[in-house]
Amino acid sequence: MDKKYSVSPNLKYAAVILVFIGIATVSLGFYFTPEKTWANLLLNNYYFISIAIGATFFYAIQYITQSGWSAQFQRIPLAFGSYLPIAGILILFLFFGMNSIYHWSLPNAAVHDPLIAHKSPYLNIPFFFIRIIIFFSLWILMIRLLLRTSIKEDQVSGMKFFNKSEFYSKIYIFILAITFSLFTFDVIMSIDVHWFSTIFAVKNFISSFYHAIAIIILIVLLLNRYGYFTTFTKSHLHKFSKYLLILSFIWAYLWFMEYIVIWIAGIQEETIYFVARTQGKWKLFFFLNIIINWAIPFLVLLPAKTKQSKPVILFICILLIIGQWVDLYLQIMPGILGKSSIGLIEIGTFVGYAGLFTLVVAKALSKMPLIPKNHPYLNESINDHL
Amino acid sequence: MKTSILGIFEEEDSLISALKKIRDKNIEITEVFTPYPIHEVFKIMKRKSKLQTAAFFYALYGLVVSYGYVYYTSVISYPLTYGGKPYHAIPSFIIICFVTTICSAIFFSVVTFFIRARLYPGKKPNIVDLRITDNAFVILINTQPEMTLSDIKTINSLLMKNGAVEVIEK
Repeated sequence: MDKKYSVSPNLKYAAVILVFIGIATVSLGFYFTPEKTWANLLLNNYYFISIAIGATFFYAIQYITQSGWSAQFQRIPLAFGSYLPIAGILILFLFFGMNSIYHWSLPNAAVHDPLIAHKSPYLNIPFFFIRIIIFFSLWILMIRLLLRTSIKEDQVSGMKFFNKSEFYSKIYIFILAITFSLFTFDVIMSIDVHWFSTIFAVKNFISSFYHAIAIIILIVLLLNRYGYFTTFTKSHLHKFSKYLLILSFIWAYLWFMEYIVIWIAGIQEETIYFVARTQGKWKLFFFLNIIINWAIPFLVLLPAKTKQSKPVILFICILLIIGQWVDLYLQIMPGILGKSSIGLIEIGTFVGYAGLFTLVVAKALSKMPLIPKNHPYLNESINDHL
Repeated sequence: MKTSILGIFEEEDSLISALKKIRDKNIEITEVFTPYPIHEVFKIMKRKSKLQTAAFFYALYGLVVSYGYVYYTSVISYPLTYGGKPYHAIPSFIIICFVTTICSAIFFSVVTFFIRARLYPGKKPNIVDLRITDNAFVILINTQPEMTLSDIKTINSLLMKNGAVEVIEK
């Protein structure tokens, strides 16, 4: 039970190779199609930031709701949080590609465009990066505090550090509500600078929470297969899958809420967003998005038996990893590129970022005991039953 | 003639350990009353509920019927253009279908539950002990005619030993 996780050399080599593949494709991409490469960099930056944010949100609400069953898995979402400092540095590199991605960042974009001129006090390059730095420093600070409290708890038993974690979690979700909303507005919604949707932030937040849980489950299942989490049972899996099921409803609900309002009003400035996304090759992704992120998980996860089946959940988790990519692809690319085309650059960049993410998370996990030692709900988590 | 034995428990854990011991002795448990659903009780009693499956089909029924109804009214019977939308405007159908699906699933599930549990308005409640309406966990064992007095005594002591706060013979 007290087994400490250690990064196996094979995993390390594989991840490093993936990172190199990523670097190679990105540098080739800069040479051939710089615009597409910047768009892909933005997509993958945002992808893994959203996973880290969703996972730490999961961590925080487990404390706030005082959930017992998840206590032994709490180190995994916490380790996801350690990706954020690196993500923060990586996203700053977007500075060099602003003109390719954001239409509003062009030097004289505001001259003939009253809407951009109206938005320019908020949407300008210096303030954009100041905001990003503020968001990241707040997130990193809060995750540091949560991490330190959790590590300290390993030495001292009692409720003191649990209460502290709970308190920090409350502050963290409050901060997240504001900062992550603004972050999605800035980074993704401002690509289509003439279009706006107030539910956009909520939708993306739920999407990140949803897909982060899929990746948490994937990692728990993989670690379980390699002999960690010996007390992992079907009832834990059932509870994890319940999260997936419920979030698949909410994801579809919010997606549809955004769509129906725009569809029924039929105002040209708003419908243009969906018109662009239901034409040409984008149409395929438009429907793929709904099928992967809602229809399949919803129908598959309804019966209790599939909720407790490891192969089924593994399949759903891998599907959802693709799902988040498709969702973001559809939000980011049509505004930057005219036509949809998936090539090596898309795959290579994603693979590179995935390797980096794996490397960082595995290293963070190996630095602390995999199962928190003195978590007050640890026994409840180990003896959890349906 | 007393026909049933009631074991009253205050804790979930002691109820479950008692249930397991009684099951191991092959004594038939008639009913268990708990303030909230406990999965393990279902498992021990070997009871399976098909209500979820039924609810799924009720939902499907609601979906099909409401979609058919909306389709009939707005495409076949009274086609009306509004806001430049086509007659068969799927997004605006979804909300109605969504709500009626939920309504149908809930309504028919409740009806099914009432029929299965043989409940109807104005039925005189058959409460074995007042505490089952509150926070007590109760095991009900109907005594069989072939049971001897010593059998009943062993059941009594079995319940008592496993944490029952009170055992009542009725």
